[in-house]
Amino acid sequence: MAENPDNPIDEEIERSTGMTRDEAILAQQDRIQKEVEDTNPLVSERLPLVVLKEEYQADPVYSKKIEDMYASFPYIRKTRGDGNCFFRAFGFAYMEKLLTDKAELHRFKETIEKSKDTLIALGFPSFTLMDFYDTFMEVVNQIEEKPSLSELLATFCDQGMSDYLVVYLRLLTSAELQKEADFYQNFFEGNRTVKEFCSQEVEPMYKESDHIHIIALTSSLGVGVRVVYLDRGENQRANHHDFPEGMPPQIVLLYRPGHYDILYGE
Amino acid sequence: MFSNTAMQKRLQKELMQFQQEPPKGMTIDTESVSNTLTTWIVHIEGAEGSLYHGEKFQLQFRFSNRYPFDSPEVMFVGSEIPVHPHIYSNGHICLSILTDDWSPALSVQSVCLSILSMLSSCTEKKHPPDNSFYVRTCNKSPKKTKWWYHDDSV
Repeated sequence: MAENPDNPIDEEIERSTGMTRDEAILAQQDRIQKEVEDTNPLVSERLPLVVLKEEYQADPVYSKKIEDMYASFPYIRKTRGDGNCFFRAFGFAYMEKLLTDKAELHRFKETIEKSKDTLIALGFPSFTLMDFYDTFMEVVNQIEEKPSLSELLATFCDQGMSDYLVVYLRLLTSAELQKEADFYQNFFEGNRTVKEFCSQEVEPMYKESDHIHIIALTSSLGVGVRVVYLDRGENQRANHHDFPEGMPPQIVLLYRPGHYDILYGE
Repeated sequence: MFSNTAMQKRLQKELMQFQQEPPKGMTIDTESVSNTLTTWIVHIEGAEGSLYHGEKFQLQFRFSNRYPFDSPEVMFVGSEIPVHPHIYSNGHICLSILTDDWSPALSVQSVCLSILSMLSSCTEKKHPPDNSFYVRTCNKSPKKTKWWYHDDSV
């Protein structure tokens, strides 16, 4: 049903904005989203890590931790905070690796080719699925034929193309969770099923990723990812964790509560 | 530009698929489909053995140029609106895949099937408890409502 209709402040909202409460909330969300879009590209250029410290000038805990990261990770590439940032950061960082690693590219291409049949076998409707698969493969083939960083960046910054790639990564994540449902079911409290989790938290766009998304996607593709955590924790330095457990990391992501960016060593 | 043509390409494909293999009890009103494909009307019949057997309804779909990343706007239109605990008498439908749980891998067809299944599993024809307040105060578009999905059992 429609949310909480008897709130006494509704009239106040309507008087000041000329909109009903729901409309006012959605309009404000749209405004915030628009502002985020205007100031942040989907994937940024590679930037010196000092840009990150500038965001936390008045914050000694973060400043200190960021300074300590300079030596290991001098560069960062930011992604837009739209709820798809993990998938976009992962997708870009990994495909950037593929530009210079022919053997890995070959392995990845085979993995993706096989994934389509797995998805269809799991009951994803093939005719919507194929759209996303085809576009994803187009980009993989493009990397093979013409490994250009600027073109890869342009692809990831084009909203339409970029979102197609995000959708396919979301579907791969969902497929892995469903395929290994017996294992992943242990992560859920209460009686939420893996299938419900996938249709509520994995397949829809703009839903943020948690550890479980990362474990599933990295396991499904066999791609190691190191996540460096920058938070307000007691520890002096930023912690990190590798996904899937024990696999050497091929790319490094930076996690700040609610957001993922890409980090670079030398 | 990309999203616009991608949206039309995708809808074209969905339209063909729907016309070639329409799900049981559903037809697309081809005259309703606008040139730009942004509005469709689907005729839907209550399934046999359900409380709505023999009733005919019209579902209106509207697509933005961000489709399929943004969900379609879907509501019942015309003179017959199903009396159902999750369907308001102005045609608005409370169904999570139409907003929060929409995924680009869903389609017009899967939405129609979910709505038909929602009708078929209904055990008592009644309006939602907040129907009269909602219908009086809501926006014309159901996408402008913040829905609260409280019950999947009906």
